[in-house]
Amino acid sequence: MMNKTYPSFWRANAPVAYFAVIVLTMPFWFPLIGGYPGLDTKILIWAIFAIGFDILLGYMGYLSFGHAAFFGISAYTTGLMLLHYSSEIVPAMLMSVVVTTVAALIIGMLTLRRSGIYFSILTLAFGEMFYSSAVSTLQSWTGGDNGLTGLPTPTLFGSVIKDTDVFYLTAFFAIVAYFTARRIASSPFGLMLRAIKSNQDRLEFTGINVQRYKISGFVVSAIFAAFAGSLMVIYEPYVATEFLHWSTSGKIVIMSVIGGVGTLFGPMIGAAFMLYFENVISVALHEQWLLVLGLIFMAIVIFLPGGFVDGARRVHRKIMGRSAPSGPPAEKGEA
Amino acid sequence: MSGTLTNHIFLQFVTGLQLGAIYALIALGLTLVFGTLGLVNFAHGALFMLGAYLAVVIAAKFGFIAAIVGVPIILFIVGLILEKGLIRFFYQRPHTDQILVTFGLAIVVQETLKWIFGANNLPFSLPSWGVGIIKMHEWVPFLEGFVVYPKWRIILIGVSMTTVAALFVLLQFTRFGLIVRAGMRDAEMLRFLGIDINKRFAIVFGLGAMIAGIAGVFGGPVTQVDPEIGMNMLVPSFLVVVIGGMGSLPGAVLASFLLGLALSFTAEYSAIQQIIVYVIAVVVLLVRPRGLMGQKGLMEE
Repeated sequence: MMNKTYPSFWRANAPVAYFAVIVLTMPFWFPLIGGYPGLDTKILIWAIFAIGFDILLGYMGYLSFGHAAFFGISAYTTGLMLLHYSSEIVPAMLMSVVVTTVAALIIGMLTLRRSGIYFSILTLAFGEMFYSSAVSTLQSWTGGDNGLTGLPTPTLFGSVIKDTDVFYLTAFFAIVAYFTARRIASSPFGLMLRAIKSNQDRLEFTGINVQRYKISGFVVSAIFAAFAGSLMVIYEPYVATEFLHWSTSGKIVIMSVIGGVGTLFGPMIGAAFMLYFENVISVALHEQWLLVLGLIFMAIVIFLPGGFVDGARRVHRKIMGRSAPSGPPAEKGEA
Repeated sequence: MSGTLTNHIFLQFVTGLQLGAIYALIALGLTLVFGTLGLVNFAHGALFMLGAYLAVVIAAKFGFIAAIVGVPIILFIVGLILEKGLIRFFYQRPHTDQILVTFGLAIVVQETLKWIFGANNLPFSLPSWGVGIIKMHEWVPFLEGFVVYPKWRIILIGVSMTTVAALFVLLQFTRFGLIVRAGMRDAEMLRFLGIDINKRFAIVFGLGAMIAGIAGVFGGPVTQVDPEIGMNMLVPSFLVVVIGGMGSLPGAVLASFLLGLALSFTAEYSAIQQIIVYVIAVVVLLVRPRGLMGQKGLMEE
């Protein structure tokens, strides 16, 4: 991987092009495998969320259990903007990103003082704080347990957007998100995040302000969540309290791990798998779908820490008959 | 809100102790497993839930005494099996993997119980000797008039304190405790000395689960028994463990009662009550990132 010849723009971004083709043709092939209209949009929204989460977990090595905070804060901001300001989505989305960024800065500065498990638990606590504030303290703003209802149908430059419009809008953001995340991952900044994952102390000794990079990584990750949260409200003009609940944080963790952290593409596959599982396969499993998913999740953590992507790589390697050591394993952070 | 100010404050205080008692019971198992095995057990809330569900079933079939005796024993065995079959393979893996696998386990336990018992909450009927009230004014001299408190909640406080004391004695004054404490400092050295530390680790995890079982039997009637309860109790318990200083038993107990009292004294201002726990957590961690009584160097990578 260390050859100095840089690939051309088109070769470097070929995966984005493939991704774009898959995404943009989704409305045609997705119903064939049992997906109902709208589920494709939802998958892409969660995929955007998952890409951002992967920057934090897969690249930086920080497992947040409170990422729903950013998804939910953004969703509420979008909802409130649509309700009180205008049904135009552009100002609503911009405001959501700004508010989420500020929240992420504050939470990041507080939680990133600690690493590892402390970080996970602190983010969980912050997530719960926002959830319980939304259902009680801020009730008059957030609608409490009922969530934000009665939102107007969103508009873009004056024209109402719904159904397929929302799908293509989301697809656009998903493609941009994937492209951006790939650029971040291959940038010096991305390298810095990976260095944080492998050995923070060593990085600190070289005179680099690690804390600043950690907060930046955290905020970048939250901004992806912000776009996802905002799109969720545009997709369905309603803000559920569930968006802030820990189960939403848990969901994004499950998706990322099932798909394969540290690969950007993996968490998106995980998002697609989980939503497909929740909405299509669950019909056969009745109420027990989450139990089955929990078992799948555990099996992957135990036997295949690299997720589906790592599994596919292993199978590929087997078929090609090549011997093992090529390619970095996805989740072995110890240096 | 009848009675004088003294009575009022006294009742808030007892309520705080009772809330703290539940947190202490759950956090105790969490922090024991964390402090000795270095394992973050996201499934601990699920074990508490399992204890509560088992208690309901056993109490209905064989009476409450059977539940009090049986549930902790069953949970101890469940803990041993989990440690042998799953947890021990994760001591050497990254902490994130430990969190993930126990999180998965929590989902599996929760969903299995939901499958068997449904999503509604189960009625928990107290034993005849636990029903009723205690007339506090007969016991506490400075109270005026008629001051009562549910008997069961007083029992809960007693059970919690007894468990805390028993665990403290076990760890501090027995040979087993000595070995476990030494094992958490340097497991390698104990192996050189020919001590089977793995067996002790399994027992510690079993003990953690057992305490969750005790919490389930005695706390279940107070908290409610529904599929959400495991996770609902886990978050405050984790906060207790973090505020107290991870791995510190006295810290966990101190933090439990601190949070319990904070919650009961803000009960009249529900807007504050909902976030007081988090506010305390943030303040404590800003001032003392290691927690109130956290030991230096423990699990700080």
